[in-house]
Amino acid sequence: MLKLDSVQFQYSVDSERYDFSMHIDAGTIACVSGRSGSGKSTLLDLIAGFLIPTKGALYWADQNFTSLAPDERPVTTVFQNNNLFEHRNAIDNVVVGINPKIPKHGKDVERAKEALEAVELSDYAHTRVSQLSGGQQQRVAIARAILRQSRVILLDEPFSALDQQTRHSMLALVRHLATEQQRAILMVTHDLRDCEAIADSHYVIETGQLHLKKQISRRPG
Amino acid sequence: MPGLIIACLLLTLAVVLFFQLAAHPTASTLSVGPRIIKTIGWTTLQASLSTILSLAIGLTLCWALSHRKQFAGRSLYIALLSSALVLPTIVVILGIVSLLGRSGWVNDALEHLNLPTHEPIIFGLAGIVIAHCYFNASYVARTLLSRFESIPTEQVKLTRSLGLNAWQRFKMIELPAVSSTIPTLAITIFLLCFTSFSIVLILGGSPKFNTLEVSIYEAIKLDFNLGRALGLALTQLAICATLVVIGARFGKDNKLIATANVKPQPWSDSLFVSLLQAAIIALFGLAFALPLVAVLIDGIAADYRAILTDPYFQRATITSLLIATLSTLLVLLISTLLAISFATLATEQRLGKHNTSRFVLRLLSFSSTLYLAVPSLVLGLGFFLLARTIGGDHTVWALVALLTSNVLMVLPFAIGTLAPAMIKAANRYDKLAFSLGIKKWARWRLIESHLLRPELTYVASLAFCMSLGDLGIIALFGNQDFVTLPWLLYQKMGSYRTDEAAGIALVMLCITLTVFLLLPMINSRRDADHHAKT
Repeated sequence: MLKLDSVQFQYSVDSERYDFSMHIDAGTIACVSGRSGSGKSTLLDLIAGFLIPTKGALYWADQNFTSLAPDERPVTTVFQNNNLFEHRNAIDNVVVGINPKIPKHGKDVERAKEALEAVELSDYAHTRVSQLSGGQQQRVAIARAILRQSRVILLDEPFSALDQQTRHSMLALVRHLATEQQRAILMVTHDLRDCEAIADSHYVIETGQLHLKKQISRRPG
Repeated sequence: MPGLIIACLLLTLAVVLFFQLAAHPTASTLSVGPRIIKTIGWTTLQASLSTILSLAIGLTLCWALSHRKQFAGRSLYIALLSSALVLPTIVVILGIVSLLGRSGWVNDALEHLNLPTHEPIIFGLAGIVIAHCYFNASYVARTLLSRFESIPTEQVKLTRSLGLNAWQRFKMIELPAVSSTIPTLAITIFLLCFTSFSIVLILGGSPKFNTLEVSIYEAIKLDFNLGRALGLALTQLAICATLVVIGARFGKDNKLIATANVKPQPWSDSLFVSLLQAAIIALFGLAFALPLVAVLIDGIAADYRAILTDPYFQRATITSLLIATLSTLLVLLISTLLAISFATLATEQRLGKHNTSRFVLRLLSFSSTLYLAVPSLVLGLGFFLLARTIGGDHTVWALVALLTSNVLMVLPFAIGTLAPAMIKAANRYDKLAFSLGIKKWARWRLIESHLLRPELTYVASLAFCMSLGDLGIIALFGNQDFVTLPWLLYQKMGSYRTDEAAGIALVMLCITLTVFLLLPMINSRRDADHHAKT
């Protein structure tokens, strides 16, 4: 379970103070919405380790990971844009998730291929990612998240630029990731339909705090 | 489109000057002999070395600066880097000589420490390359810094979350971010070094180090051999024009989603990498500042009563300020009109989708980089022949040649600054302006003059300073009646009147830095006041 225990942050003394508490069980998806500038990106940056809380702690399976560097945390982020190294092909972009030296052969590459297969992109393994569609690019980013086996996946409005059909298939993929691979997923979105479609809980950020707006029970399968 | 008319006029001027060179009676008997081939070889060697080193140093400095976002004086440091483009070459050379010359600071210090002094290395290849790197590495660093800072924050976060080290990060996101700019930069720097005049003239030291440009000068001024000058000029013209055409093919930029947000990241590199970055910044800062400090210290000791009351100095100052002001006005007018045409041809809502747009854009682009293809001494020779054909007052021809040269010299940088800003303004406000029927002057007053004020101020200060400090065409046209500050300084240096030279150099440095650093500052303060009031 991912747990945020009164995680506090303030950009400057005059700015709003954030104080976040929440938990997400493994195998479930939490959606977070809120006005622009309400602190959604701050929340993701705090969990991913790009910002250091002034107070409070973050836990995964009761292990405190607040002081860990971003790459040491059990967390992978899929951003809205710029998830990929555009001058590289899909397989390189996936394998870099576990081996920054980007090998061309070997066990890591085989595992990267499997991850690409899981997102149905094995035919595009050697295609430069700049030539892929928006949906395919996001799939490559998700393949990397699958490969990294991080227990927590953060999705920062990842499907906002996709068409309806691609969006549906991506949402199904995310749901599958949560259920089948027991990942805890936090998805920031503006679109409440996405929330309704896959989330188990819906949080809203208001006045610097997270409020549980809705708990959605889903039947297995 | 007035910009298109200007582009055509510029190209016509180039054609007229070319025919002046090619149609000269001696031109038909010209051949590229072993002497010219040797000069081409040497010119290429020094330009290649200078380009490679400038790119390597500039890229390293830029990398260090982009990762050290908070240190005291960073803004001033970057502003000084930008000023390298406008610092009068001859002033910096004087500073370098004062440091590394036979009786320079370094030898003085060695003597004080009872260590053996060195033979000056600055006269010859080493000095030429050092001086070229001084100017061009700063230019590279300043140009690439904006590319580094346009790397999307998500990409930086991504490399951090993947645990990439500094080298891997450089390979994965930083080098790709600048790679599209490097070929264009390399060709520009190569051309600038290939056509370098004052640096080679002063630091060359011997005819064997002469570049084509200096050889043209010597053929006209010292040997009175017009045939040889023509041969060299036409050869140089052919090489430079070919490189400019090749360079235009690399003009396409990769797209980066610019993030104005350059707030410091909450993590830092390893201690070793951080120290390395700090050392690079400190070393380059020292190397950049020392020649200027030398000019300052030598200049303070000068006898200003004698300098300021010297009628030559007074005349040179007035002429230089007048020429710089006229050049600035011309550059502002021409570059603005050209930039408007760029925006019209590049914006989809206007003519961006038209079939001929791409061709006309290339034409505009070529006309604005004409100086790189037709460097100042070639241009000067063209005007020199034109003056002999048509006749008339020497001073008038000198003024026309100087103004033309200054405008063409600043134009590539002015267009490089104004055109993207103009295109951005067009993309942002075209629909609104079209729907409200805001056109021409009203539109300029409401949109461009407001949005482009920082760029226009920058171009104005650039034009003024570059025009004030240039020692190119004046070397051909300068005489007792027509003298500018750089020409006067060169004469004082040549006659070993070092005290007067140091004083004039300091005056030039003060004018340049005041205009270049202060003008944008006043403008931004005015903007801030305006915003505060509204």
